[in-house]
Amino acid sequence: MAESTVARDTAEQVAKGELLYQEQQRQTRHFRMNVSASWGIMMLILIYLFSGQNFLGIKTIQLDTEFIRENLSFIAGGIGQTLLVSFLSILLATVLALLAALGRLSTIPPLYALSTFYVSLIRGTPLYLQIFFFFLALPQLGIVLSGLFAGVLALGLNYGAYMSEIFRAGLGSVGKGQREAAIALGMNPRQTMQRIVLPQALRFAIPPIGNDFIAMTKDSALVAATGFVHEVMWRATRVGRAQFNNLEALIIAAMFYWIMTIILTYIQGAIETRLARGDR
Amino acid sequence: MPLIVKVSDLDKYFGRLHVLKKVSMDVAPREVVCIIGRSGSGKSTLLRCINFLEEPSFGTIEVDGIKVEIGHKGKARRELVHEVRLKTGMVFQEFNLFPHMSVLENVIEGPVTVKGMPKEQAVELAEQNLDSVGLLFKKDEFPNRLSGGQKQRVAIARALTMEPKVMLFDEPTSALDPELIGEVLNVMKKVAKDGMTMLVVTHEMGFAREVADRVLVMADGEIIEDAKPDNLFSKPNDPRTKALIDRYRTGGS
Repeated sequence: MAESTVARDTAEQVAKGELLYQEQQRQTRHFRMNVSASWGIMMLILIYLFSGQNFLGIKTIQLDTEFIRENLSFIAGGIGQTLLVSFLSILLATVLALLAALGRLSTIPPLYALSTFYVSLIRGTPLYLQIFFFFLALPQLGIVLSGLFAGVLALGLNYGAYMSEIFRAGLGSVGKGQREAAIALGMNPRQTMQRIVLPQALRFAIPPIGNDFIAMTKDSALVAATGFVHEVMWRATRVGRAQFNNLEALIIAAMFYWIMTIILTYIQGAIETRLARGDR
Repeated sequence: MPLIVKVSDLDKYFGRLHVLKKVSMDVAPREVVCIIGRSGSGKSTLLRCINFLEEPSFGTIEVDGIKVEIGHKGKARRELVHEVRLKTGMVFQEFNLFPHMSVLENVIEGPVTVKGMPKEQAVELAEQNLDSVGLLFKKDEFPNRLSGGQKQRVAIARALTMEPKVMLFDEPTSALDPELIGEVLNVMKKVAKDGMTMLVVTHEMGFAREVADRVLVMADGEIIEDAKPDNLFSKPNDPRTKALIDRYRTGGS
């Protein structure tokens, strides 16, 4: 269609289009505002439920505010440990997942077997058991790991097995034609993997790795069971049990986990938008 | 004059399917040879065996004096195959540009990574070749910002920048919208005119007739005809060739 043959919109038509556009925008804004308002109301209800107020004959839960004041900062002090455990574990998991996925592609039987064996064993047993295994069972064999190390090892091994599927999908998302083009240029298998396949697969894998990191911050609470990693959950159960204020302690911990998740989800969203916008 | 490509008694099986049957052919320096034939005739497989994207089942492939025989195994064979790949440039139907690299990065990737060419030298060579396919102004774009025709022209520049002895084209215009075919064929004509040895699997009869020095016709895993285009198109020997040519003449594709 040549531009000259297209009739220009009249002022009236332009105004109509503008109106329709404004209406669409208004509806979108309206929906968002209503969602935010509903969130706000639910949040108020939740807070009110724990306010101890008596309203219309409904008794709400009375929290021990003094306990909260005294222990809030102690429990908050575990956030650093929680994030540290999660971060180290996701690093280990990413490396293991990549190796497992590559092993799964290998034509060398022992490597293929090692990869499937690892994934099967880890996925076939509970994470909680694995954490105890590294912390409680290994000392029987004379292997004593620090709480942090045992926790990171267990979480990393566990997540690595599940995350190997992410890398498998990522590697699978790179078309056969890409490998062929690399081979035709004379690249060897290592160059083909490093220069052509992996960069594309990693890009594919970044959003799901972010999701797993967010999930990991919550599963890291399980290492509290070892008693030697002083992260949020451990601190909450410690002060909660000691003073029989488990309700308050767990609510504080839940709040911190929730806030961390909201912040991390926001960051994750920003990264995803950026990746989607990029031309690569 | 020594041959650039010499294929002798090439057999290829896919599982039990016998797709190439004792095929022999050759290409002389500066020669442009087109391979035509219906889909499934084995023409792409023949082309892909020459740079070992497909493993030949039996037979010998020789490219510019490098001879790979079936008896060759292990490291010695890998090195020979590598030599052959360095001497052949390949252009694919689906372009296969690297989406995570800019146009220029795509073109210098081979020389820098595979040949260890200094980057400045590779860039200079790449820019020359991008200029000759008319796309130097797109060098910093990413492939997904290019039209199909532009992608294929970049792919041709990428293959040329490896400075191959022979260019292999595997249906280079089959994935293109009709209005984009011309620009790619024009670039290919230019490459031929510059003296490149070319082996082209194609459905473009007009191109074969105009540019090829020889046309091979394949059917059922065999080369059934090998002739100068004028002879082939005016008086085909084999009824299958005649049917093929007639089909394109009447506008089928």
